[in-house]
Order: sequence, then C-alpha cells, then structure tokens
Amino acid sequence: MPPGSAWLAVAAGGLIGSELRYGLGLAFPDAPGSIPWATLAINISGSFVLAALTTLWIARPHTAFWLRAALGPGLLGSFTTFSAVVFASDQLARAGEHPVWAAYLGLSLVLGLAAAGAGWRSGRLISRNRDGRP
Amino acid sequence: MTAAALVGIFGVAGALLRFGIDSWFAHHSSIRSVRTDGSMRLHWPWATLLVNVVGCFIIGMAHGLTAGLGLGAEWQAGLATGLAGGLTTFSSWTTATIRLLSEARFGSAALNVAVNLGLGFAAAAAGIALAG
Repeated sequence: MPPGSAWLAVAAGGLIGSELRYGLGLAFPDAPGSIPWATLAINISGSFVLAALTTLWIARPHTAFWLRAALGPGLLGSFTTFSAVVFASDQLARAGEHPVWAAYLGLSLVLGLAAAGAGWRSGRLISRNRDGRP
Repeated sequence: MTAAALVGIFGVAGALLRFGIDSWFAHHSSIRSVRTDGSMRLHWPWATLLVNVVGCFIIGMAHGLTAGLGLGAEWQAGLATGLAGGLTTFSSWTTATIRLLSEARFGSAALNVAVNLGLGFAAAAAGIALAG
C-alpha cells in the first residue's frame, strides 16, 4: 500500500478537483435538453493534461510519488468524471432527446480520446526536447 | 454552502476509494507477474473499469435515494457530484485507451471503451431502477 503522504496528497487533490468541477457546474449550468458543455470541457481538458503528465512521468520516473498522486489520481481523477457523462446521456435518452445524447456521447468519446492522444504526444515531445539539451 | 461542503467531503472519499482500488490492483498484478516466471503480464485498466461502473450505479441511485429518505438537494449533490464524480474518472479512461493504442493493442483499446460504456450504462439503469 502507498505511504501516508500519497493518501494525503490524493485527498488534497481530490478536494480541489471535486470543488473545481462543482464550481464550473454552478457557473455554467446545464440547459435542459441540451449537451452538458461544462462536463464536456472538463473531461476534454483533463484528458489532455493527464495524458501529457503520464508521458512526462514515464520519461522522468524519479518524480516524487506524492506529487504524481496529488496531480494524477487526486486532482485530475476527481476533476474529470465518467458517471456524469453516463447519467446525463441516460436522462437525455429517457427524455427522448436522441440526437442530443448521441452527440454528447460521441463528442465526449472522440474529443476526449483526441485530447488524450494530443497530450500523450505533447508530453513525449516536451521530455524529448528537455533531455536532448545538456 | 452545505452542498459545497458535502461535495468536498464525498469527493475526497471517492478519490481515496479510487486510489485504494488502483493501488490494490497494481499490487496484485505485480505479484502475479513475479509468479509467472518473471514474464511481464500485460496491463489492462481493471481498476478504472471497476470504479467507473460502481460510480455509475451510485449516481443512478443518488436521485431516488435522497428523495426516498427525505434528504435535501445538497445530499444529492454530495452523492452524485461528490461521491460518484470523485470515484469515477474520465481522464484515466481516455489516457489508458491511448496507452493501449500506443502499444498497438487495438482490440484491448476498443474493449476498454466498449466495456466501460456498456457496463456503465447498465449500472446507472440498475441504480435508477433500484432506488425507484
């Protein structure tokens, strides 16, 4: 099991990530029968950053474990959400909003994966450029 | 204000639970890889699948459960946005899929996308039906 510092770091990151997501939801509330844009933006941006950090950390395995725990599973894991995407799609489908839920799910999937792919490549490029220098 | 506090408390609980499940799977897969003659076992994001499915069940139950127990909207926010939102993760799911693609494991990547969505929708529907 991970050390206590990692659990504390996940708790701190989880608190910030959850409150950020909650706050963005309040600032940009979902209009009934339309795509939840705030959740979509959260998941796309979070996918980019986590994928970039993952490849950066693969290149630099000596990054402190508590720091990785705070940012990865803590902040970004809690900031992004899978359950809200599934639940909102379910509710839109039950309301008969079939083009809306299909578009929401499709955009989440395509843009989320594209963002993670772009983040993955960016992290690799950054670590390559860094390590190339003396 | 109460809602924000409950989202924070439940969000931390969800994140810690997810981290615990992640660590458990990481630990047990490393033990198994030692047992199989030191050959590397292929990773597959089981922990993320588990937390995502459980979280979908929780968010499905949250609405009916809080209404049935006579709890206010702040508890629904705590359970849905905090607990289910903190427990489930979208970024680990997409990043793990990209990692599988980068290893040319296309079938595993497609399966990771399909199984999370399939079981996630089923779990949410089950939660909604159970909480009535």
